[in-house]
Amino acid sequence: MSDYKKYQCGVCGHIYDEAEGDPDSGLAPGTLWKDIPDDWRCPECGVEKSEYALMA
Amino acid sequence: MHIVIIGSGVAGVSFAEKYRALSADDDITLVTREHDGYYSRPLLSRGFSKADIEQTIILKPFNKLRENNIKVLCDAEVTAINRADKSIVILGGQALQYDKLILAQGSSAFIPPPFRLYEKLFFCLNSLSDLKALRRFRQGFLDQNQRPDWAIVGGGLIGCEVASDLAVAGDKVTVFHAMDRLMERQLAPEDSILLLKVLQNSGVNVLLNQAVQAFSREKDKICVKTEATAGFDGLIVACGFKPRNELAELAGLETGRGIKVNQQMQTSDTSIYALGDVAELPNGKLYAFILPIRNQAIWLAEFLAGQQQGFWTPPVFTTKAKVHGFEAVHPYNV
Repeated sequence: MSDYKKYQCGVCGHIYDEAEGDPDSGLAPGTLWKDIPDDWRCPECGVEKSEYALMA
Repeated sequence: MHIVIIGSGVAGVSFAEKYRALSADDDITLVTREHDGYYSRPLLSRGFSKADIEQTIILKPFNKLRENNIKVLCDAEVTAINRADKSIVILGGQALQYDKLILAQGSSAFIPPPFRLYEKLFFCLNSLSDLKALRRFRQGFLDQNQRPDWAIVGGGLIGCEVASDLAVAGDKVTVFHAMDRLMERQLAPEDSILLLKVLQNSGVNVLLNQAVQAFSREKDKICVKTEATAGFDGLIVACGFKPRNELAELAGLETGRGIKVNQQMQTSDTSIYALGDVAELPNGKLYAFILPIRNQAIWLAEFLAGQQQGFWTPPVFTTKAKVHGFEAVHPYNV
């Protein structure tokens, strides 16, 4: 049972899953949301991290 | 099979990449008037508060697509579709044959007819080249330690986003909106009031119920004429979008507000499909938001690769106005 969370981009709907990370942009699987640099951007539409919201 | 795509926005690029992933053998050619690469349309609204936007807005240079075995013809203006011999004509170039043609040209800014006389007096913000022109104009003021005084005509999604970003970047901004509340098409009345307060707090002067009649140039000012006349340094018209239907109309495809497609994104010509801002579904709707457009593009790639059946149905989606400091309480009407 993992505690990994998912966050969704409010602009394009892209889902960031902490369990999977985003290897294309250098985020290894297991990278927590809080550990992602502030200049990281949505890989689909380019908006900033602040446009994401925690998924229920 | 040769698939030709016109347009390099989210619809064209998502389709090309998905189709390439599903089919290694078919030829894919993407034809675009753009020059810089595949860029983020939502980020146009952050074009002033971010200094490095002209670089960071590019999500993928065209070479990245070329490495993925997608042929890209950039700076290419398509002038005609010849349905009889299944080819398109590129300005200054030869004809390009297709087996399947995907129309994904997106939209341009809608200019209300009374304003069309004054096209030299105002800017729009609908593409990266529009943004670059605006930034150059603005830089002229900054270089002299001045701040431009802007008028924005239109208090819809784009007008509010741009007003917010210019104000946050430190400029003086006045919004003229025809209706009695901001973003009345997407927001609940309560959220329109909240948005008004957020904009006012960032220094934007919002004028509602404004019937803008004309523009004029008075020395170095651009004047907006309502019941009164006020002068500004720069003027942006943000009155909505207009799908780029012209090629489809010239080719005799069925069009309405957009290019009419069935629920498999197929136009009235069985070899031609349409995606994104230009595609008008049988319910009369155009799905001009990133999430449903990507969904359409991926669905069509799967469908044409034989891995999808039935009909495209819109996914549940919402949107979010990129106004600094604004969070709507109620869901957006999309």
